[in-house]
Amino acid sequence: MSDQRKEASISGAGMISGGTYDRVSISGAGKITGDIHAEELRISGAGKAKGKVEATKIVVSGSVSFADDVIADEMRISGSAHVDGRITAKELKSSGSLKVARNVSSDYIKISGSLRAGADVETEIFRASGGFQIDGLLSADRIEIRIGGRCQAKEIGGEQIDIRRGGWREKGIILDGLIKLFTGGGTPGLETTQIEGDEIYLEDTAADVVRGKRVEIGPGCRIKMVEYHESLKAHPDAKIDKQMKV
Amino acid sequence: MNEQKLISKKDALETMGISYGQLYRWKRKGLIPESWFIRQSTFTGQETFFPEEKILGRIGRILSLKESCSLDQLATRITEKVGKKREVAFSKLSELGWLDEELMELCALGDEGTSVTLEKAFSLGVLHQVSEIGRKEEIRLIKRTLDEALTKALVERIREQRPLLHLLRKRVSASGISAEISLVVIASDGAAFDPDLETVQVVDLAVVLDKIKLGLTKEEK
Repeated sequence: MSDQRKEASISGAGMISGGTYDRVSISGAGKITGDIHAEELRISGAGKAKGKVEATKIVVSGSVSFADDVIADEMRISGSAHVDGRITAKELKSSGSLKVARNVSSDYIKISGSLRAGADVETEIFRASGGFQIDGLLSADRIEIRIGGRCQAKEIGGEQIDIRRGGWREKGIILDGLIKLFTGGGTPGLETTQIEGDEIYLEDTAADVVRGKRVEIGPGCRIKMVEYHESLKAHPDAKIDKQMKV
Repeated sequence: MNEQKLISKKDALETMGISYGQLYRWKRKGLIPESWFIRQSTFTGQETFFPEEKILGRIGRILSLKESCSLDQLATRITEKVGKKREVAFSKLSELGWLDEELMELCALGDEGTSVTLEKAFSLGVLHQVSEIGRKEEIRLIKRTLDEALTKALVERIREQRPLLHLLRKRVSASGISAEISLVVIASDGAAFDPDLETVQVVDLAVVLDKIKLGLTKEEK
């Protein structure tokens, strides 16, 4: 019964029931009414999935909302995606806008658009050049952030943490203006309560506590407390209220 | 709980000679349960503490096993160890949203203290999945089928056979009289049924079991 594979595609308006598929593609307006299992799910129109979605590859270039959990090996978003459950992926790339109500866990996450997560974001490698708001912990072995919008996380933890100004400062006034337009005019910067890691480099970051083995606080930072184990370097243009070698 | 001696994250790392990177990695892999991370405010702001004995023991075990197996294998090992504890706390069931009064009554739950057996939790989980769509007598039928299957080591066979539970209905009519009968089948993936049967609901039993077990590892008591 379940060996029978099927394809479903909606290019006008339609509905797909739950089940196992090879390929599901929605280029008009489509609704998936139950849990689905698919090799590939492509949404370039407007899609709505009522159930759990499990797919090897998910590509969203339109707009989609998932009412439940999403599990994928590869998930690429260049449009907008809204997930009410959690995302479990191996590779997650978003150059569009991604909103997730619960946890995001993956091996690799690349955000060049925007990310909003209602809980923890856990991955091996986290690369962001856009903006994000993470209401929980951002945890990864390697965290590379090129600030390109408002970046906020409740806490950040990992091995190597590297947070720098994004490229927009060098690219001139037009891009600067555009970014300000999109981010609501505030100076791009990163805000968090706590950063813990082994190797830490920060720019334009505001934090209550930074704890690490080797810590370098670069320009534009405002840190209330730095606790370091081996070394601390601070840029003259950084503000550190208190520092302590532990 | 309150009498447990706590150790700060900093001191735990120092004592065991591990790094922040390692600790966060282990937490991500589920090797250190979420509930062990206890937040308290101190004069330097928020700090994380752990139950000292538990965390030092766990880190020690991870360090000693790390040489011989990968982190994922380690995670499985710890899961298996918890899996052997065949008790599920009520709090876990309520977190899963399975505590429905009618279903609890059907599963004879309620007067056993703070936890139930894995089998009972499992039955409850399966029934919960069909409770919206299934009729009352169908739910009872599923319960009886599960009871029967559980005596034949259903739980132990789940991982290997990946059985699905099917709730089916069939309408038969002859000379103006029609009746509908309900059927419950537990069969491995790929079972075929006659085309006149209407599939009301299919429950992947492995998923139900995983939900229980995952919860157990994440917040080990």
